[in-house]
Amino acid sequence: MENVRRSIFRFEAVSNYIVLLAFAAVIVFFSVATKDFFTLENFLNVVSNKVVLLAIVSLGLTIVVAAGGIDLSVGVSIDLSSMIFIMLVAAGYHGVIGVAGGLVAALLVGLLNAFLINKLKINAFLATLGVLFIGSSVQRLSTNGGVPIYLTRGEYAPTFEAISRTSLLGIPTPVWILILCSVVVFLLLHRMVFGRFVAIMGARPGVALYSGVHVPREFSKVFIYCALLCGVAGILLSAQVKSYVPLSGDAFLLDAIGATFIGTALASDRRPTVIGTLMGVFLLAVMRNGLLLIGWNFFWQQVGIGVLVFVVLALSFGLRKREE
Amino acid sequence: MTSLTAPSETKLDRRAIAALFVRVGAFATIGAILIYFALFARGFTSTFNLLNVVEQSAILTVLAFGMTVVFIGTGTDVQKGGVDLSVAANAGLCAAVFVTLLNLGFSDATAAVAALVTGALVGLLNGIAVVVFRIMPLLATLAVMNIAAGLELTLTENTVVSASSDFLTFLQFGRVLGISALAWVLILFSLLVGILCHFTPFGARLYAVGGFLEAAKAAGIKTSFYVYFSYVFSGLCCGLAAILIVSRLSASTPGTGLLLLPILAASLLGTVFSRRFIPTIGGTLIASLFIGYLANGFQLLGISSYWVNGVQGGLILLVVAVTSFAKPAEGA
Repeated sequence: MENVRRSIFRFEAVSNYIVLLAFAAVIVFFSVATKDFFTLENFLNVVSNKVVLLAIVSLGLTIVVAAGGIDLSVGVSIDLSSMIFIMLVAAGYHGVIGVAGGLVAALLVGLLNAFLINKLKINAFLATLGVLFIGSSVQRLSTNGGVPIYLTRGEYAPTFEAISRTSLLGIPTPVWILILCSVVVFLLLHRMVFGRFVAIMGARPGVALYSGVHVPREFSKVFIYCALLCGVAGILLSAQVKSYVPLSGDAFLLDAIGATFIGTALASDRRPTVIGTLMGVFLLAVMRNGLLLIGWNFFWQQVGIGVLVFVVLALSFGLRKREE
Repeated sequence: MTSLTAPSETKLDRRAIAALFVRVGAFATIGAILIYFALFARGFTSTFNLLNVVEQSAILTVLAFGMTVVFIGTGTDVQKGGVDLSVAANAGLCAAVFVTLLNLGFSDATAAVAALVTGALVGLLNGIAVVVFRIMPLLATLAVMNIAAGLELTLTENTVVSASSDFLTFLQFGRVLGISALAWVLILFSLLVGILCHFTPFGARLYAVGGFLEAAKAAGIKTSFYVYFSYVFSGLCCGLAAILIVSRLSASTPGTGLLLLPILAASLLGTVFSRRFIPTIGGTLIASLFIGYLANGFQLLGISSYWVNGVQGGLILLVVAVTSFAKPAEGA
């Protein structure tokens, strides 16, 4: 019995480093496999094109998952924010008003989630699933069945370039926005009272209630913050591609969930953290970039990512000490 | 003594009344909507239309049965308990395997068995992830969904792959006793799953495992077998649904993954038709037929199909919100 327990304990120590090990393995493998992988140019390309949007969405999801919830409607927040932003810009409003409108749209999605979950007491998975359905209908109805809005004409370019093409101190603005979001979420989750509330709600909801945490109010904030972050990502997305493509935000959901939970494997208590989530996003982005460089097509990339997520989760959860 | 029991009894009564009210309300709502369609949607009540919708719903229903069995065998708390997000993608993969084998010249039987085996293997992978590696079902099946969807794409390269054979033609156009082959598959499969889940000791144990894992374990049930069974059975449903998809469309098409949301809607809406708001085969059958008739009625009334998703989402929210008031509070 003693022996068994000790050996499991050693596995547990390994399981805490599984993400770092996977990361190292992926980087070493692709560096050997292709010469273009381990270059500064490629690194910058990965960060500015692949990481920023997914990372911002994943940060939002991290707050929700840390509080013990789940948000399947991140795509709706992204899309509606993108839609309102593009529509306002297309109607000739100033870019600032467009950004504000986009964020308000995302805020409304967050408020709807919070209302369903905390007033109507619907389980977070089901509530956000319902919002996901409704969001897709709203987008189809307001775009005549899913017709994208392209704003590629020159008159709109200054607004978009101010958001996605400028840089400060040699670092592109979107990356600055990501850094800002990361710092804000880090402070929220790891340095403020709200973060302690989130942690206790996620770990022991009953204890949170009896410790005097105003659970419905704090749990509502979680979904509103998440929706706002998704709104930021939505605006960045539409500024990057100079258009609004209906239902394009749903693609982020799976990767964001994957990144957040890969990130939990990094912490010994298996709770989501900002650093862990960012690591998860990097791992996914690096993997996808590497598979592209060694010449796998998009279809095989999806299989590869799926297998990677599966293996990381299996090792991280499977090697963990059994809970009593 | 009386002062202690009296209030709890009245509370129980009130809850029982509320539950009854919700169930009657659910049936009444469905009845009202169907009557509305019958009165105002031209052609809704014609035999052809009614049967056509049953046939159309066969695929969704078979997949929803898979999801329902997972709910029964692993618990209804979708966040902590079981859910199989891989069903739709799995069905797509099975359809791709089926069509590919047919086009390579294999016989119907070989291809059909291969589709079922593929589905079962994907289900087994889910089971291993949940039982051996103890990954949360939500995450495990999400990862497996990605893998299955990716494999489907590599097989079909995201194109429509058509196929035809005598067996498929029979499934598509064949009639036995005046009822089409697809409808027969639906009827027989519903009976089979219904009997298995509701009228056998096996089904009772399955409910026990999903209802309270620890208690089932303490009662001497081999719980991990039932969890494996749930996922493998769900995989088999995907294989069967894949054969139906291919027979109906004469091809495997990309986008089968989009069925996931209606499948979840059908299985979740189905819980409202049971006495204790638990997943049942009959409830799922009613719910998925209702979803079929809803889409059909909208079409006949000339309402844009863009509304269908939103109405499904609204219904889920309504059902869950209303049942949560009538349901006994759980745990926390």
